[in-house]
Amino acid sequence: MCKAQRLSRFWILSFLCLFFSGCGEDSETVKITFIGPLTGGVSAGGLGGRNSADLAISLRNQAPDTKYKYELVSLDDECKPNIGVQVATKAAANKDIVAGVTHYCSAVAMGTVDVYHKFNLPVIVWGAVLPDITYGNDYLEIHRVNGTMINQNTVAAEFMRSQNFSKWAVIHDTTDYGKGHFKYFQIALSKSEGTILGTFGVNPDQQDFTAELTKIKALNPEVIYFGGLAPTGVRIRAQMDKLGMTQVFQGTSGIVSDAFIDGVGDLSEGVLAFREGAPTEKLPGGKMFMEAYEARNFNEPAEAYGAFAFAATNLIIDVIEQVGPDRRLIRDELNATQGHQSIVGPVTFDDHGQNTIAVITKYVVQDGEWVVWEDSEYASGKRFLK
Amino acid sequence: MDLGFIAQYFVNGLVQGITYALVAVGFTLFFGVLDVIKFSHGDVLMLGAFTALALFLGLDQLASPAWLSLIIMLCIGTLAMGLLGALLCKFLVLPLKESPPLNTLLITLMFGSVIRESVRLFFPNGSNPKPFPALLPEASINWGNLNLRLDSVILIFTGALAIVVTHLIIQKTRIGLAIRAVAQDEETARLMGIDFKKTVLATFALGSGLAALSGISTGLYYQEINFSMGLMLGVIGFSAAVVGGLGSIYGAIVGGLLFAFLQTLGAIWFSVPAYKDVFAFAVIIILMAWRPTGLLADRSAERV
Amino acid sequence: MSDLKTKLVLLLGVALSVIVLYGFLYLEREWEIGVLLVMVPLGVYFLKRANALTYYQHAAREMPRFTWISFALGVVVLIMLLRHEDFALLMLTTVLLYATVSLGLTIQFGFAGVVNFAAIAFFGIGAYSMAILNQHFLHIPDLLIIFFSGAISALLGALLILPILRTRGHYAALITIAFGILFRTFLEVNDVLGGPQGLRVSGLEMFGWDFGNSFPNELGGGSFYVAYAIVALVLLATGYLITRLIEASWLGLNMDSVRLDEVASASFGINGPRWKITAFMLGNCFAGFAGAVYAAMYGFIAPASFNLSDSLLLVSIVLLGGIGNPVAVIPAAFLIVVLPEKFQVIQEYRLLLFGIVVILILRFRPSGLMPRGLRQYFAGRFG
Repeated sequence: MCKAQRLSRFWILSFLCLFFSGCGEDSETVKITFIGPLTGGVSAGGLGGRNSADLAISLRNQAPDTKYKYELVSLDDECKPNIGVQVATKAAANKDIVAGVTHYCSAVAMGTVDVYHKFNLPVIVWGAVLPDITYGNDYLEIHRVNGTMINQNTVAAEFMRSQNFSKWAVIHDTTDYGKGHFKYFQIALSKSEGTILGTFGVNPDQQDFTAELTKIKALNPEVIYFGGLAPTGVRIRAQMDKLGMTQVFQGTSGIVSDAFIDGVGDLSEGVLAFREGAPTEKLPGGKMFMEAYEARNFNEPAEAYGAFAFAATNLIIDVIEQVGPDRRLIRDELNATQGHQSIVGPVTFDDHGQNTIAVITKYVVQDGEWVVWEDSEYASGKRFLK
Repeated sequence: MDLGFIAQYFVNGLVQGITYALVAVGFTLFFGVLDVIKFSHGDVLMLGAFTALALFLGLDQLASPAWLSLIIMLCIGTLAMGLLGALLCKFLVLPLKESPPLNTLLITLMFGSVIRESVRLFFPNGSNPKPFPALLPEASINWGNLNLRLDSVILIFTGALAIVVTHLIIQKTRIGLAIRAVAQDEETARLMGIDFKKTVLATFALGSGLAALSGISTGLYYQEINFSMGLMLGVIGFSAAVVGGLGSIYGAIVGGLLFAFLQTLGAIWFSVPAYKDVFAFAVIIILMAWRPTGLLADRSAERV
Repeated sequence: MSDLKTKLVLLLGVALSVIVLYGFLYLEREWEIGVLLVMVPLGVYFLKRANALTYYQHAAREMPRFTWISFALGVVVLIMLLRHEDFALLMLTTVLLYATVSLGLTIQFGFAGVVNFAAIAFFGIGAYSMAILNQHFLHIPDLLIIFFSGAISALLGALLILPILRTRGHYAALITIAFGILFRTFLEVNDVLGGPQGLRVSGLEMFGWDFGNSFPNELGGGSFYVAYAIVALVLLATGYLITRLIEASWLGLNMDSVRLDEVASASFGINGPRWKITAFMLGNCFAGFAGAVYAAMYGFIAPASFNLSDSLLLVSIVLLGGIGNPVAVIPAAFLIVVLPEKFQVIQEYRLLLFGIVVILILRFRPSGLMPRGLRQYFAGRFG
């Protein structure tokens, strides 16, 4: 018993020591969180964004005149709203994190706005396009550098009508993202006098679409409009072929990724999509960004929104350099952003924290790659959409 | 509605139904023989599909022709899963023979979880849905509104063949006789000199092989597989087996086709086709309340 | 043992537990948690060697009421100690809520033998009830909404009663699994309930206090999670009390006999279906209450939060602790909720590791970490 008692005493002492193990934290490190889908069907976009944010941080850490040392805390929201809320809460409750570069999936971004507001964490959205994320609330913490889907769908409707299509069937996923796209496309189409023959809301995880597609086949549309992300789009496009359907497949920014083309293979030929913002090479700082990205040898490409993540991170760092690592000060300074130079052009946040992106790019898949419409052989008349 | 469309729905449903039936037959075999619900069946199915995919990627590097790849994938896939089934039986199920059946259910459920998570974590990019190669001919016949694809026909045919072969094995071979004997009365079967352990292992191997076949068929049909496909298919297969009557192979087949029929019906009736799963499961629950031991089960007496 | 000595021993036990729990929740770095993980079992081992544990068990048995009251107060102290740590409080509250659901599962499964693989569905029903009632019926006080959520869970669970009663073993398991999937699928296709996008839930407001506000400075100030933690604690304490009372009463006796041998107990005149229904509905009620508080705390719910893997997680908690032992549920819930958060590595491999752990337990120690003791037949005290 004596030995046991001595050991117990030793145990209690060392236990208490744990609490006095002091903070060895480097008080000059400023933490910024990156949240995006790092796993799951849209992980290509998320990883591209994370790499870009990481690139921004490492470049600034290397620059000699930077006051603070920055650290990226990246979290995976799996493109699911509930997971997004969990990781957002985790990040926001962590007092060391002073700002965030958040979200590719609109559904997730919609779920998390309350969290950031509750904890006073200023964030800049880098990939989600649903307008309600910034316009659906009056929170001072939420900002966004990329554009919204309203313009995207207006241009889409006008363009498709100009190509003489008039009858649509709509499939959209039932998250806010898909529903939002449908809503704005419907508004835009009614202005351009196109007709929607039928609408089908589907679950983004749904596997089998033969039932919906068979119903659509009966309606005989010319174009199938798809509002949703790449994994769902891949399945729909593949199953259209199973049923012998040859309509034109028109998607949104959600399918502008290599994952879509890899998923459907040859069937991707002639698929159309629209995205706000110029292609990365044509952005003001695009070339510089691409070269720096190449030099880092990441495993994944930057994808469509990497440049925006890069710009958002740099903007946050600029603000922190100016006002210091305090959430409220950063938030107020971000709200005052006017004409701030970035690789995606001058960034100005309006009274809802939204940056305006004027350019909408039209894409078509040609020979297994997303090609800007104007540069494609479809535009020049050498190839024809079905 | 147009006859062509009805035929289209029918064909779609039939492919699904055969897949479910294959899984259900597996469940029924296990239950019949060991009174055990092996809930990892669905995930074994998924693992079979992934094994086939990995094989394909390897064979693709060696530039093997499509038909050869397909045969190799099928053979090795089913064999590998058969082996896994036997191992599972040996290490996890047989030792728990004396414990309450719920423990076995739980342990197999957890094992299924382990398989699912392992694939998600260890297969490169496991959490993304993966394109499955289209190895079957893609020709199709168009009869009005019916678009009948050759691969659907092949899949239906192969599935039915597998079921018939299984039936023949059970009814006409010695090992099948042993399986039936053990299912009826374990003690007497042992008294008669039947090697209990070997028989049970064989049953598990057979059932798991069927699962692998089902997985590969699903992959070929949708040209996509993902790590969570086993869960839903497993539950559906289980429901189908239970509704048909656990222990009866015909019941499993009926159950599988019934479930697919319910889903198709739900897809047609409801304006939002996504309600078909809710509809199908609700009907299953009602059927279970009406006929607790299944539609085709033998009446069993319970020893007190 | 004199009364004072008993009380001292019990208080010491509470104090030690509070310190250990505080350590787990507060410490952030992984090596610190690792050290703690090693030291706690060692500490338990030494205490066992020194016969301190049996001493403690005797004390607990002599004064059961004092024991659980002191533990409840201990948790309050813990909450106060952690009042500035948002995330630690969030974890603690989640543990308390999961433990409540697990208590419900213990009643269903550990006492009456009713299998329930849809625990998270009933949790979800409670959550969605809170979400909808809170948004659309603003004049109903939140406390009442929590009660309603529990009642709605129990009632919806009643839909399953008939199929469950008519089936045995595996079949009953299938029904609960089918229900779980049905619930989730229904939520996902139904836009009225938010669909895959999910629903925003406004926070609680009780007795005039808006839970969104930070804890008042007069009481020490702190995060707004403190209020939620206290509500969860009250819920758990009540649930634990009810479970213990049931266990000690003839209610629990009937349930146990139904679980052990339904035919034999029928021949003694015990109405099997009645006790199964009671256990099932009561357990679901617990889950509903916990779900309601959970929804209000997180402010957001989506169908994807309520799937089969989570039900299995809850079942693992009950199994890990020891089937039928209400006390064991709390440390088990703690381990399963807190450890993956602390070890990022585990977080990714969480479900895999838990699956393996449960397999090992079922294979080698099916009675769990703290197996349920034999029933004590002496009248009077419970526990």
